[in-house]
Amino acid sequence: MEWYARPVIPAATKFVGSPISAQKLAGYGVAAVAAVLVLYPVFFLLQASLDVGDPLARPPTAYGLDNFSGLFQFPQILLNTLTVSLAAAVMALVFGFVMAWILTRTNVPGRRMFEQLMVVPYYLTPLLGALAWSLLGSPESGFINQVWRALGGQSYLININTPYGIAWVMALFEGSVAFVMIAAVMKSMDPSLEEASQVMGASRLRTMLHITLPLVIPGVLGAAIFVFAEMLGSFAVALVLGLPNRYYVVTTAIYQLVQQYPPKIQVAAAMGVSLFAVMFVMLFLYRRIVMAGSYVTITGKAFRPRVVDVGFLRYSLLGVCVLYLFAAVLMPLTTLLYASVQKIAVAFPTAENLTLANFRMAMSMDAVRSALGNSLLLGFGTATIGVVLMGLLAWLIYRSRLPGSGLIEYIVMFPQSVPRLVFAFGMMWAWVVFPIPIYGTLWLLLIAYLTVFLPLGVRTIAGVMLQIDKSLEECAQMCGASWAFRMRTVTVPLLMPGLVAAWLLLFISSIRELGASILLMGPHSKVITPSIVESWFGTSSELTATLALIQTLVVAIAMVVLVAVTRRVAAQQVD
Amino acid sequence: MQTKLPEAHIEVDGLELFYGSVPAVRGVSFNVLPGEQLTLLGPSGCGKTTTLRAIAGLEQPAAGEIRIDGVPVYSSARKINVPAEKRGLSMVFQSYAIWPHMTVFDNVAYGLRVRRVAAAEIAEKVGQALDMVQMRDFAGRRASQLSGGQQQRVALARAFVFQPTVLLFDEPLSNLDAKLRADMRIELRDLQNRLGITSLYVTHDLEEALAMSDRIVVMRDGLVEQNGTPDEIYSLPRSAFVADFIGSANLIRGRHRPDLAIDDLIALETSDGQVIYGMSYGRPVGSELVVSVRTVHLQISLQRPADKKNVWPARVEKTVFQGDFSQIHIAWGYQHLVARCAAIEPIAPGHEVYMTIEPRRVVLLGAGNS
Repeated sequence: MEWYARPVIPAATKFVGSPISAQKLAGYGVAAVAAVLVLYPVFFLLQASLDVGDPLARPPTAYGLDNFSGLFQFPQILLNTLTVSLAAAVMALVFGFVMAWILTRTNVPGRRMFEQLMVVPYYLTPLLGALAWSLLGSPESGFINQVWRALGGQSYLININTPYGIAWVMALFEGSVAFVMIAAVMKSMDPSLEEASQVMGASRLRTMLHITLPLVIPGVLGAAIFVFAEMLGSFAVALVLGLPNRYYVVTTAIYQLVQQYPPKIQVAAAMGVSLFAVMFVMLFLYRRIVMAGSYVTITGKAFRPRVVDVGFLRYSLLGVCVLYLFAAVLMPLTTLLYASVQKIAVAFPTAENLTLANFRMAMSMDAVRSALGNSLLLGFGTATIGVVLMGLLAWLIYRSRLPGSGLIEYIVMFPQSVPRLVFAFGMMWAWVVFPIPIYGTLWLLLIAYLTVFLPLGVRTIAGVMLQIDKSLEECAQMCGASWAFRMRTVTVPLLMPGLVAAWLLLFISSIRELGASILLMGPHSKVITPSIVESWFGTSSELTATLALIQTLVVAIAMVVLVAVTRRVAAQQVD
Repeated sequence: MQTKLPEAHIEVDGLELFYGSVPAVRGVSFNVLPGEQLTLLGPSGCGKTTTLRAIAGLEQPAAGEIRIDGVPVYSSARKINVPAEKRGLSMVFQSYAIWPHMTVFDNVAYGLRVRRVAAAEIAEKVGQALDMVQMRDFAGRRASQLSGGQQQRVALARAFVFQPTVLLFDEPLSNLDAKLRADMRIELRDLQNRLGITSLYVTHDLEEALAMSDRIVVMRDGLVEQNGTPDEIYSLPRSAFVADFIGSANLIRGRHRPDLAIDDLIALETSDGQVIYGMSYGRPVGSELVVSVRTVHLQISLQRPADKKNVWPARVEKTVFQGDFSQIHIAWGYQHLVARCAAIEPIAPGHEVYMTIEPRRVVLLGAGNS
């Protein structure tokens, strides 16, 4: 072959070990950014919790543990938190387990459709649920209670402004999370394990008790701990339904301590650190259980679980599915829609009470327009910057094999175990003293969103990244491509579906973010979700319902795009 | 043996590599000569792929040195580690690693585009490379529309189109079905001869290694077990492991009997008193010996062959028909031996036969086999 002439100088002689490559620079660059984002506020949170000196002096004048011992003055808050979280976690697990069993193990009609609908409550947000259920179930004006009195009942049928009312709404929405986790466990169980038991002559009941249950228990236990930890840190529902009766859980108490005048920063910080410590331990336990106890998920392979023919019972099970989605999705949405087109929200419609004024008003109010505009702007900014930052982080952690990537994974996943409200509190305290004045601007919100969504973005992108055969990148390297060239021509194009999905998830999450935004937005940097809460406590419930619907619409559009994108990607992978 | 000793193209010196604390390669040394096709052969987990990836620059060794054209690309002593993309090598991956988001043309053109070759030249070279693997008609296709064998050809064209000095192959045929594998084996060897490129090939498949290599390095547990031509490896295994891994062999142990030696043959007496003549092939002869006899070199006959050494009566235990040959299990004293005979009449179990082994086929194994 003439054209195949051997090069005279081998390529290797030209370069010998360059110490600083673009790869290392980019890798350690994003690692440093992530570390600052996460650790800087955590440091200030810890500092504030140990500050026992003059509350107005910064840096602190004295350190001690008095703030923590002082927490025992609030036994009621601790009790409230435990009551609500336990009740909510138990209910959410029951919802999740029952729905997971019905939808993965029985031949209920329309299983596939219901399985997809089960994630909708998660995207509707607990805040929306709380607003809707407040309209439905508040003792005086709640629609359900109005109907009850019209039917001749006394005082009220349900009262949503109670600990169990709060837990009920929380559980309705967390049930969706519990479902996803428990269904995954049930799906990852090899059906031949059960078949083996039956072939050896065991009855159905015996198989269920001795094979099925032991196999799913570790997964369910893991889900229980995870859900309980989430409930400890949840904020929106307790705020909307608890505040009118001055019923505080730990997150709303922290919020109150920070917002009141004079603020009690140090006590709030101690409360936040304690909550964080408890959640951290629980999530640590969760990871241990998932890794050690679950024989089921070892292969990570999805099986087609054996479906039990439940006969006519399947129509009752269908009813259970419909009922859950009715309570968690359909009823809240209809209620808000109904309230938004009324002058005064009442249970029984009259022609003169109907109006579109709420929508006109919402769209003409400067405050609303700027809040919505800010939210969209932040959504685009967070999603776009976030995808680049989190994509590089995912690559750094799971692909680069640069030393220290394990530590970086730990830092990046850290915000997972800190409630967003507590994290935002640390940020508020941290960025107030930052030399560049970003406090009270949209920049601070951008930084906050990028920080609290680190785990979400990195996990989404990593999920796709880990499915890409590593040799596709190695092959580009063997063809002589530099790191930047490989990234541009191979890694990023292959990762595109994951990046698009991550972009949309970050966008959606930014639009509906409450816990961090409510503490960090300034008078000139309002965003939509906290504005809805302000509107709920400050103006009419009809206008609030309108705002919530507008926000839901924005999220729904993004959701539809997300589903379309994932469908297309799934279709591409098939052929 | 070459008439003039050329300088080695790839030199691996005392290579060590760990996965965490688990040693994968424990001090491996060998050379690859220019234009030579060398195969790393061994069972899975022997460190052959790890060694190849270390040469490629995809794994970071812990110790040793790797030189290409005399220039170190990795050296623990001199703290050199040239990144993979700058070593000037090329590689065919086990999974083919065809980029699914590019056409066949773009896949093959990649290495040329990296080197900023002009578009016209790219078109010409990619065309020639695709011709060589008979894939020109597929240039516009996407990877997802190719069969396994076609992907294999594209991966090959992509690997040599930019004229690398060395081609590395990581079990490139293991994902193909048996028939296609046999065809590709011949094609690959042809192509390698035409390009005259230095190749380092990794496989666990014995036939592949024997058919394709100028030289074979047999590896086991992260160490080199034997380094030689396919014929040397097959005919003169150095250890029991090689004898057994490279084709099937009977191992016979016994005491050295120098007093019975005839000519240049060595004599070995088994525990049940049988005397076998074999050859030492220059290997040191101790007092306790192990010899290896390939199953195909053990001849079975119904009549006693005249004028031959190493003839014994034996009894057939069972015969297993395997198509091209029959495998005959024989009881010989206390020992059980296996013979593979082509096209033989079936012999009933219990039948008395004669077993003959030519002394030159009785190969003394090296030390360390007892």
